[in-house]
Amino acid sequence: MAQDSENSKRLTELRMKHGRPPASPSEPRAERAETLREAQPRFRGLESGHRACQGCGEALAARLVTESAGPDVMVANATGCLEVFSTPWPQTAWRVPWIHSLFENAPAVASGMEAAMKAKGKNTKVLAFGGDGGTYDIGFQALSGMLERHHNVLYVTYDNEAYMNTGIQRSSSTPHAATTTTSPAGKERMGKRHLKKDLLSIIAAHHIPYAASASVAYPQDLQRKVRYAMGVEGPTFLVIHSPCPLGWRHDSALTVEVARRAVQCGLFPLVELDRGALTNIMPIREPRPVSDYLELQGRFAHLFNKNDYRAQEELDHLQALADHNIEIYGLRGEGVDPIDSTGMSHVHRGGPLAGRN
Amino acid sequence: MREALEGSQAIARAVALTKPEVIAAYPITPQTHIVENLSKLVADGKLKAEYVSVESEFSAASVVLGAAAAGARAYTASASQGILLMSEVMYNISGLRVPLVMTIANRAVGGPINIWNDQSDTMAVRDAGWIQLHCISNQEAVDTTIQAFRLAQETGLPVAVNMDGFVLTHTMEVIDMPSQEEVDAFLPPFEFADALDPERPRSMGTLVDPNFFPEVRHSHHAAMGKALARIEEIDKAYKKVVGRASGGLLTVEGDKKAKVGILAMGSVVGTMMAGLEDFKDEVGAARIIKLRSFRPFPAKALRAAVKGLDKLVVIDRAISPGLGGVLGTEVSAVLSTLKNAPKVYNYALGLGGRDIPETMYRDLLTTIEDKKAPRFAVFDADLDKLAPEDR
Amino acid sequence: MTELTRGTWADAGSSLDFKTGSWRSTQRPVHVHSKAPCHATCPAGEDQQAWFAHLQLGHVEEAWRSLVAANPMPGVTGRVCPHPCETACNRTEVDGALAIHNVERWLGDEAVAKGWDYPVAPPADDAPTVAIVGAGPAGLSAAYHCVRLGMKAEIFETLPEAGGLLRMGIPPTRLPRNVLDAELNRVLDLPGITLNLRQRLGRDMTLEDLRERFAAVMLSPGCEMSKPWSVHGAVPPDLHEGLHLLQEFYDHGVLPDAAKGDVIVHGGGNTAMDICRIMMRAGAKSVTLITASGLPGPDTAPDDVINVVPRELEEALEEGLTIIEHATVGRLIMKGSKIKGVEIVSLKKEKGPDGRKRRVEFTGTERVVSVDMVVPCVGEQVDPEAFEGYIDGAYFSPDNPYGRIADRVYALGDARGHRGTVAAAIGDGRIAAEAVAAELAGADDPVADDRPEMSYDGLNTAYYAGSSRVSVAKLPVSERTFEAEIEGGISRAEALAEAQRCLSCGNCLACDNCWTMCPDNAVIKTAELASDGSHYVFDYDYCKGCGLCVQECPTGYIQSVPETS
Repeated sequence: MAQDSENSKRLTELRMKHGRPPASPSEPRAERAETLREAQPRFRGLESGHRACQGCGEALAARLVTESAGPDVMVANATGCLEVFSTPWPQTAWRVPWIHSLFENAPAVASGMEAAMKAKGKNTKVLAFGGDGGTYDIGFQALSGMLERHHNVLYVTYDNEAYMNTGIQRSSSTPHAATTTTSPAGKERMGKRHLKKDLLSIIAAHHIPYAASASVAYPQDLQRKVRYAMGVEGPTFLVIHSPCPLGWRHDSALTVEVARRAVQCGLFPLVELDRGALTNIMPIREPRPVSDYLELQGRFAHLFNKNDYRAQEELDHLQALADHNIEIYGLRGEGVDPIDSTGMSHVHRGGPLAGRN
Repeated sequence: MREALEGSQAIARAVALTKPEVIAAYPITPQTHIVENLSKLVADGKLKAEYVSVESEFSAASVVLGAAAAGARAYTASASQGILLMSEVMYNISGLRVPLVMTIANRAVGGPINIWNDQSDTMAVRDAGWIQLHCISNQEAVDTTIQAFRLAQETGLPVAVNMDGFVLTHTMEVIDMPSQEEVDAFLPPFEFADALDPERPRSMGTLVDPNFFPEVRHSHHAAMGKALARIEEIDKAYKKVVGRASGGLLTVEGDKKAKVGILAMGSVVGTMMAGLEDFKDEVGAARIIKLRSFRPFPAKALRAAVKGLDKLVVIDRAISPGLGGVLGTEVSAVLSTLKNAPKVYNYALGLGGRDIPETMYRDLLTTIEDKKAPRFAVFDADLDKLAPEDR
Repeated sequence: MTELTRGTWADAGSSLDFKTGSWRSTQRPVHVHSKAPCHATCPAGEDQQAWFAHLQLGHVEEAWRSLVAANPMPGVTGRVCPHPCETACNRTEVDGALAIHNVERWLGDEAVAKGWDYPVAPPADDAPTVAIVGAGPAGLSAAYHCVRLGMKAEIFETLPEAGGLLRMGIPPTRLPRNVLDAELNRVLDLPGITLNLRQRLGRDMTLEDLRERFAAVMLSPGCEMSKPWSVHGAVPPDLHEGLHLLQEFYDHGVLPDAAKGDVIVHGGGNTAMDICRIMMRAGAKSVTLITASGLPGPDTAPDDVINVVPRELEEALEEGLTIIEHATVGRLIMKGSKIKGVEIVSLKKEKGPDGRKRRVEFTGTERVVSVDMVVPCVGEQVDPEAFEGYIDGAYFSPDNPYGRIADRVYALGDARGHRGTVAAAIGDGRIAAEAVAAELAGADDPVADDRPEMSYDGLNTAYYAGSSRVSVAKLPVSERTFEAEIEGGISRAEALAEAQRCLSCGNCLACDNCWTMCPDNAVIKTAELASDGSHYVFDYDYCKGCGLCVQECPTGYIQSVPETS
């Protein structure tokens, strides 16, 4: 507790002394030392004070993305949680130029921004952000158009597998058998009847220079993919598995653990595609059973009802889907690999073991 | 330079003179010739612009939104269903106060599908918060298009330039195209003070709660009100440079002392002017009010323009089923505060491309001589074509 | 009044005006530096985690300085300590305990080789002087810590050389004398330490003299007197006790003739182990150890395991020692004054009606073996002669952790009679010195560090890479002599690699997880790197209390505590 109050005292003092950080990189610095916040050795694309729920995977992912992409970027953001929690007027948590227009047009708005940069001969990279609803569903056409037209835009979809902003309705990204408010489990239903849309394969069919999946459980891998995409001229696509404690019904502290298990069981494969061809995967050292992943989440609680024979069937179905991913992407690792699903987590004094290359 | 040009081609040339940086469009009849011509100018290297061939009008509007928000002069064009598909974005563009220009090649809205001219499309987005100007000729469309770019950036509002599909877009006319020097003298380079900029990383399109939403709307409404004066000033400024004006908010033509008036927007105004010449001896000369600015709606100018009229025919090129004509209803509302307001006869004409012959002038004026003349009608509808129960 | 911006744009980072910290309802994350199990179990009080942290950064001298803040003789303890730290090491559950003692030994040797200075300043001329009786590990540690705390120390040693048990009780095969001398002399050379050899309390001065002349007195005489041993009252006339045999052998290099035959050693500590091995090496026909305790194994309760350094036991077995566990000598079979055989009987320590353990011999398990010599090794005690009035029984029994047995009089080390180790003696010296410093300053006794210990369950092991323990070369049995050190050393590279295996239990690993994974940017990093976690700060103005950092902290350094208003 002593450390506690020491901590807050230190912060308060520095804030009182130094005031708020500057609004922009070019804003003339006042005659003052940097605040603790400013002195951090990283770019803060998504600032504190946003209104995401506790343990929000999407907020974490967006922070990681803008951190490695910024500051010379501009962002078009689809309607959704990320947009709502980050920008309740008159406040915004972004430190990058950012625009929200509509739910389904972020890729098109980004296309326009990119065309503007091209016309002006500027190198500012344009990013587009959307949730799974805005990407897999309503914004899908605009996304396809953007990719086909080869805009130099990095599109990032924060996949939390349902319409969370409107209160957890199923999307085409919701996994099979998950309950949402519009795919509830009941006498006649075991949650969502349909499969999670294989978006990455559709993206791959556009033969864009780079497409990848990432997870908040592996920040270094995620940020490496962002940095790689930033260096690519042309459309790039990143889908980031971003657990939603509220919608998935798990403890807010478990966001990273849940995400990690999703990767380690094979339900959310981490892959990279170059011009549509698989070029890299994160091998799974020892695949965990899908139940390890599912059991942490209330949205799958009905699958653990011992008195319902359908529960076991659905569990087996999900296991089969995970096994299928492992097979088609060749995820099964051979021995110990420092950048497999186990090794990528490893840290040592000073940071991640696999490094922030 | 005077040159015989198809309306669409003329518009494309006019747009090129404004040096747009980003053009995005999706093909729809009767807008296609405009964007085809622009594509060709880009392909030929005559226009240095990013031409974005989008996959829908929805994206066309979104692309120009993004482009203008990022600080580029942006242009798009559409019509009919395309405008309706854009409508969500149109509200957004104006609500975010992003200045850009769109041509609407006015066409009926389905269903049933109909590709011919009326103004249902632009009427469907009258509340989208855009400046909406109407042109009676291709010359006016060219001049208004160039003015629209200056108007947009001076008001911080998007501008839609309406020209009747086919009637104007596909018609050859001798156009006096301003020179590049004239346009450069008239139109400063694009500047949008609130554009996205990494040097000043603001957020646009934030979530506004009830504490501020009425103020947002008030401010938008006020901006439209202030735009009335800008429309006239810019028209005058254009005349100073190019030597030709396009009619400010509205102009009064024909017999200014007449007791009977006709108010209309778009190419039908030209038809009425021709009818007047042909039939003034038969049915008398009418005062013809050419309304150029539909949004903002020039209430004050309108009240002045109808002074002394007993009767006013308002021609609508669209219909609000269950109400009548939109323009007619709005004109009536605006005139309702006048002491000696003229009696308003609101007639929808030429829907879905029905030909409006010059004889219409005569027919309209003859009709309203009758005391029992309807206050609203789809004037040229032949009810014999309908089953009795559908009349 | 907030003025509406046109198009309602908002300024970068303005969300800082919205303090989401107010959302924290029940829990907040805090930094809690728990004790690493190695530290918690180290009798010397070393914080192994702390010095490994320095090694992980490649800072070898800092690591040594951190180590010698508790223990001035890592070269010695790295060789002789039974290293409870390794037994407690949480890494045991992953892929084997850290080779703490090997790295400790390497650090100690490195310091000697490089001549690094101890982190102590010379005491002031008028600094109080503490008298220390006995120059064994407890006395040397006490002297060192007195100097470290700004006092002077004057040591009185009976023998002609310092070292006590280190010299007299531990074979060179475990602790080469050059290593002992080097480290010991570096301590004795510190300014403020005076060593008086051949000075025996009770003969050359009295305890009361010392109390009068010195600011405080520390008694670390060790246990030089063997405990009485007999079998139902019978004692062979030519009895040689283990400790004395050892000392004789170290002084003169010879053993009695009977040691050439079949020998039974009765007892169980390190002394027993050492004498067994020396006798085997000196040519005994056979050596059998009879012990009431058990050998380590799944069926042996931890408190029943024979109390020897595990690797010593391992080596003795390699060398051919026979151990009869859970047994005692039931009867001596004499022929005249010569011993001819012993009767061995099985026994076990069992819980009695009062709940305390007692020895139960099992009738019917008697067997007789013929022997030429029986060496009792049942432990040693303090020679009480000079301590009358201060000792009651075999050992000093202070009623406090500082060893204080009277005003400004402290008893340390083996003389306190616990299951003594060198490390415990060193720890006693430090704690007593701290208490003396406090007492002389008129302050309260030092407060015991009662921080909780970080258990394996408190770690998030997803973040640790597997890596196996360094393997250390040992002298093959055939090459073992009376002198050559049996266990080999490790290289600098091996030491630094081994250090990377430290899990940093309970203390910050500076891994950046909290900083990287906070969705709310509420963990602020203030510098590129520090070894103690001081470079991460929670910004409670924005921390929503989600617990993610708590969950993902590998070391348990971040803990969730109830929110207090």
